[in-house]
Amino acid sequence: MHHPESGPFTRLARGIVAAAAALCLLLLGLVAAPASAFAEGAGSGEATPDGKGQKDTLTVAIAQSVDTLNPFTATRLSATNMMRLMYDFPTNYDPKDPSKVLPGLATKWKTSEDKLTWTYTIRDDSEWSDGKPVTAEDAAWTFNKMMTDDGAKTANGNFVANFDKVTAPDDRTLVIKLKKPQATMLALDVPIVPKHVWTKVKNIAEFTNDKDFPIVGNGPFILTDHKTDQYVKFKPNKKFWRGAPAFDELVFRFYKDNDAAVSALKKGEVSFVPDLTPAQAASLEGAANIKVNDAAGKRFWALATNPGAKAKNGKKFGNGHKALLDADFRKALFHAVDRKTIVDKVLQGHGVEGEGYIPPRYEDYFWKPSAEQKIAYDPKQAAALLDKAGYKEKGGKRLDKDGKPITLRLMCHATDPKDKAASKYLEEWWGELGIKTKTTCLDNVGDPWVAGEYDIAFDGWSVNPDPDLVLALHTCDALPNTPKDVGLTDNFICNKKFDSLYAKQIAEYDPAKRAAIVKDMESWLYDSGYMNVLAYPNSVEAYRTDQIKSITAMPASNGNIWGQDGYWSWWSAKPAGGEAKASSGGSSSTGMIIGIAAAAVVAAGIGGLVLVRRRSAADDRE
Amino acid sequence: MTADASAAAAATPGALARARRRASAARFWAAYRKQRAGVVGLIALLVIALVAIFAPLLVGSDVDNVTDAPGKALEDPSAEFPFGTDQFGRSVLGLVVYGSRISLTVGLLSAFLCVAIGTVVGIVAGHFGGWFSTVLMRVTDWFLVMPALVLAIVLATVMSRSVTTIIIAIGVTAWPTTARLVRAQTLAIEARPYIERAKALGAGHLHITTRHVLPNVMPLVLAQTTLAISTSILTEATLAFLGLGDPQVVSWGGMLQDAREAGAVSSGHWAYLVPPGLAIAAVALAFTLAGRALETVLNPKLGVAK
Amino acid sequence: MSATATATTAPATAAAKERRPGAARAYLAYLGGKLAGAAVSLFAVLVTSFFLFRIIPGDPVKSMTQGRAVSEDQLAALREQFGLDLPLWQQFTDYCTKAVTGDFGTSYQFHAPVSELIWEKVPNTLLLTGVAVVLYTMLGLWLGTRAAWRHGGLGDRLNTGVALTLWSVPGFWLGLLLIIVFSVGIGPIPGLFPTGGMEEGGKEGFAYIADVAHHMVLPVLTLVAVGYAQTLLVMRSSLLDEMGSDYLTTARAKGLRDDLVRRRHAVPNALLPTVTLIFVNLGHVAAGSILVETVFSWPGVGSLFYQALSVPDLPLVQGLFVVFAGAMILMNVLADILYPLLDPRVGR
Repeated sequence: MHHPESGPFTRLARGIVAAAAALCLLLLGLVAAPASAFAEGAGSGEATPDGKGQKDTLTVAIAQSVDTLNPFTATRLSATNMMRLMYDFPTNYDPKDPSKVLPGLATKWKTSEDKLTWTYTIRDDSEWSDGKPVTAEDAAWTFNKMMTDDGAKTANGNFVANFDKVTAPDDRTLVIKLKKPQATMLALDVPIVPKHVWTKVKNIAEFTNDKDFPIVGNGPFILTDHKTDQYVKFKPNKKFWRGAPAFDELVFRFYKDNDAAVSALKKGEVSFVPDLTPAQAASLEGAANIKVNDAAGKRFWALATNPGAKAKNGKKFGNGHKALLDADFRKALFHAVDRKTIVDKVLQGHGVEGEGYIPPRYEDYFWKPSAEQKIAYDPKQAAALLDKAGYKEKGGKRLDKDGKPITLRLMCHATDPKDKAASKYLEEWWGELGIKTKTTCLDNVGDPWVAGEYDIAFDGWSVNPDPDLVLALHTCDALPNTPKDVGLTDNFICNKKFDSLYAKQIAEYDPAKRAAIVKDMESWLYDSGYMNVLAYPNSVEAYRTDQIKSITAMPASNGNIWGQDGYWSWWSAKPAGGEAKASSGGSSSTGMIIGIAAAAVVAAGIGGLVLVRRRSAADDRE
Repeated sequence: MTADASAAAAATPGALARARRRASAARFWAAYRKQRAGVVGLIALLVIALVAIFAPLLVGSDVDNVTDAPGKALEDPSAEFPFGTDQFGRSVLGLVVYGSRISLTVGLLSAFLCVAIGTVVGIVAGHFGGWFSTVLMRVTDWFLVMPALVLAIVLATVMSRSVTTIIIAIGVTAWPTTARLVRAQTLAIEARPYIERAKALGAGHLHITTRHVLPNVMPLVLAQTTLAISTSILTEATLAFLGLGDPQVVSWGGMLQDAREAGAVSSGHWAYLVPPGLAIAAVALAFTLAGRALETVLNPKLGVAK
Repeated sequence: MSATATATTAPATAAAKERRPGAARAYLAYLGGKLAGAAVSLFAVLVTSFFLFRIIPGDPVKSMTQGRAVSEDQLAALREQFGLDLPLWQQFTDYCTKAVTGDFGTSYQFHAPVSELIWEKVPNTLLLTGVAVVLYTMLGLWLGTRAAWRHGGLGDRLNTGVALTLWSVPGFWLGLLLIIVFSVGIGPIPGLFPTGGMEEGGKEGFAYIADVAHHMVLPVLTLVAVGYAQTLLVMRSSLLDEMGSDYLTTARAKGLRDDLVRRRHAVPNALLPTVTLIFVNLGHVAAGSILVETVFSWPGVGSLFYQALSVPDLPLVQGLFVVFAGAMILMNVLADILYPLLDPRVGR
């Protein structure tokens, strides 16, 4: 008989034990199963080309979550890259030389005499994946939606801000009327969506476009599945007008931890990993079947000083350090920055020393300072310049004009290890001048930034083949209307000369002439000392050569694979095929066996415990 | 620390009190010495404290200097750099030694903060009773159901990145358990007859709480503090690892974050990754061992270590 | 650790004082009190989660659009879409009325309903941490019992020592080491387990379950290693308490075998305090997974929270905060409800 005190508990304990035993047996089964699956050779989910008509899968590791698959609201690089695969854009950039334009959905285009009307011819060999033909009406609807529906403006609204009217007089003709001339009409990075599908969407703002698979599109790939932060899957679009991609499947798998992604690459779980750190690149350099692509980057990485934040209505706000309003002071600061050390130590050589505003990858727009213009690394000159400008050093501390020691607030992105690393060097360099630096690293630098509550900030933009956007950031027009608003402005620069140059370049339809104006703008920006480019960091990426035989970089010479302005890399990738990769399969089966063994031990232990329990219950009955 | 009723109530000459304190300290030490794990923990703590205090002498005060870093980036362990170097070419060993200062400071201060809050709330709630106590305990309960780490992460995100922020974030989220324990102890102490007597003799709230209750809850508070330090050090490491620490100071959690950001895991630089983690574990363990021994000696009823 | 358990058993002992007559009514009153308390707590959590995240300075729309080209028009549209153009009190009342129906608004970064995003991730977290809690509770109970039986011996010291050491190790660090050793592979050890994530994708049925289990091994191992010490210690000390009680001496005097006495009387009674602990652990499940999910790229609510906080995606952070605290409240209430039913001293 049960003792009254122990009754409920013995039962509870036995229940727990039984449940746990069941669970462990289940686990045992679970862990055992992949082993049998492997034995059958059915592991087709991975890129295991055995050359026996198996599916060739290209798996790409990415870190950034896809915000949404809705092209009207998707803003993250991860998502906009998917958009390029899902939907055709009006025009494409040439992968060999990104500054050249290739036909996309539009085959031809022409402008009117007054530069205000653009007429595009829409190709007739593009088809939506549900079989309906692609027409000019789809493009017109897409642009009109962005012009009229606030929810549809979120991502690409800036492209249509200068549009007056968009019409499709017939299935093959798209006419865009502008308010003002706009030189960027062949750089409209807008995914064109199927009107017949999207007219059914009630609320564009909250539509995530990931429920109804496969998603209807006309790009080189068709999106077939998406699980947030797990994977996005594509199948090739066999009817794609430029030709079907060679891989049978394209998978983007999410790794929140970059190290995990690199290990996955080493094991062959993924075919491609972007954004490697120098240490990771070094460890992959010598690895078998892995190629490291150290590509010229699209970004500039700069220091931006607070020029005294102000709004369009003339109101000043923020609390930037007064000394930064002095051009000599800014110049002295940058004389004390050793950009070469930054490249050597922080980027470990994976980058190019900073000069002009636009990275050297865009040859047409790249500009560098002349010898007398250049603010070279020279701490002595920096100190002399400060002394001359009236910033005296006293007791190792540099004093401002009111006689107070100068402390500068340096703002860095917590999400970017480069910033944090470089800030350590800057602290010491500026410390030599007697200037104290207080570094603050934030996940979200947006708030102090738009409020003008910083002195110097790390700044960086990805530069598109068309430089209009990164130039527009420094125009007076980009300032916020009032201190309460937020403008497009990067760091509150507003200058008449820069503005007049900006206006000239946007109306200049001749590429060479436009490039000359852009270089003048870069020269002014450099001299101003409001921005100083530290470096153009490389995009360091790696892929498995036993899975990918060839892949197109953009630009062809030293370009990147991930984050291209186009679909070239994944569209052009050819599977290696034939070469089996035993290591991964072998090791994972060993893993299975160990897993089975572990689970068996646990299960045996639990079983033993149950038996002991039974025995004790039997003892009870004595 | 066995303040019994007669001793506490009667005013005794100073010499006698000193002698009694000496005797009880000796008794305490004799009891503590029997806790072998506690002794190990204590020795470890002394060593770590010495290392932290003399860190500048041991490894030089410019160990975190990047511009004059002695080595190359991510060197493997060698005679010169026993744990290799970090991505700036600084000695990992030197950084671990130096990092002990921040980790210990944050651990100690945030534990003190959290135990101080807990003690005050606990004594006040226990002493005054009534609706005031009910409200205080509701607040405590409510903090108790708040996931402490989540709250600490939120606070650390909201405030500016600094060591003070981390201390506050840990301190204000971890106090409720102490408050609960102290309140229970306060209730037990105030039920004793000599408190009744003191009240009858006209002792005020301040007198009773500071002269009678506080000395009696001190043993509990001391043990709690020691245990709280180990939790605080772990939380500090966690917050720093999540990138919420001060980027300008060297701390163990921050080193782990740096190591991870540099890609030390996948590139096999385990020598960079292992020492800071071991240091955290060693200090946390030492405090836990010492705390459990203290708890056993001072408050056998809690019976954690037996 | 032990403090948590001690603290939460306090109300149960109060209930234990009740006598048999009218016990049912007393229990109902007790139950009512607990439920009312939980409701108040939940409301307090709702209110806090709204105001706590409003301290984050600045304008969410500004941070949402930082680093890309947006027109004034787009900004105004965003403000209106997320209700940020309304005064604070109106945002608050909107938030409260919606929150009651489980609607926490639209995520700033994913442009999707917050509740949908959270519910999508909840099963993943429950799976990972649920399995881990069950395993480490079992392990802790078993080892704790053994330690107490052979109390003072080498086995006990070793057992407790190992547990305390693992308990002092930062979980995320252990996870990273496990990745290095068992996933990347070190020396002769090949990479056995996946480095992260929850599934390969594209598998169905049994293969899918197996795949998930394979991905779970390392994160579960991490959670178990760091977590079991607490259960072990509580079980050990409460068993030691039980073994000192008079009735055990009596039972032994009756001639019952030693191990039988322990198993039949001491262990069941000693399990009592651990029940509370189990519930507290279950309550921590959601919040406790932030680090492990981040290290192992596990697609659960923990990593979602950290990601949301760095944007900051206020509606999502608010929703998750309510979920985390809600889980704690729910589990505490369950513990409070069950405890008097299980406590033999209360009688039923």
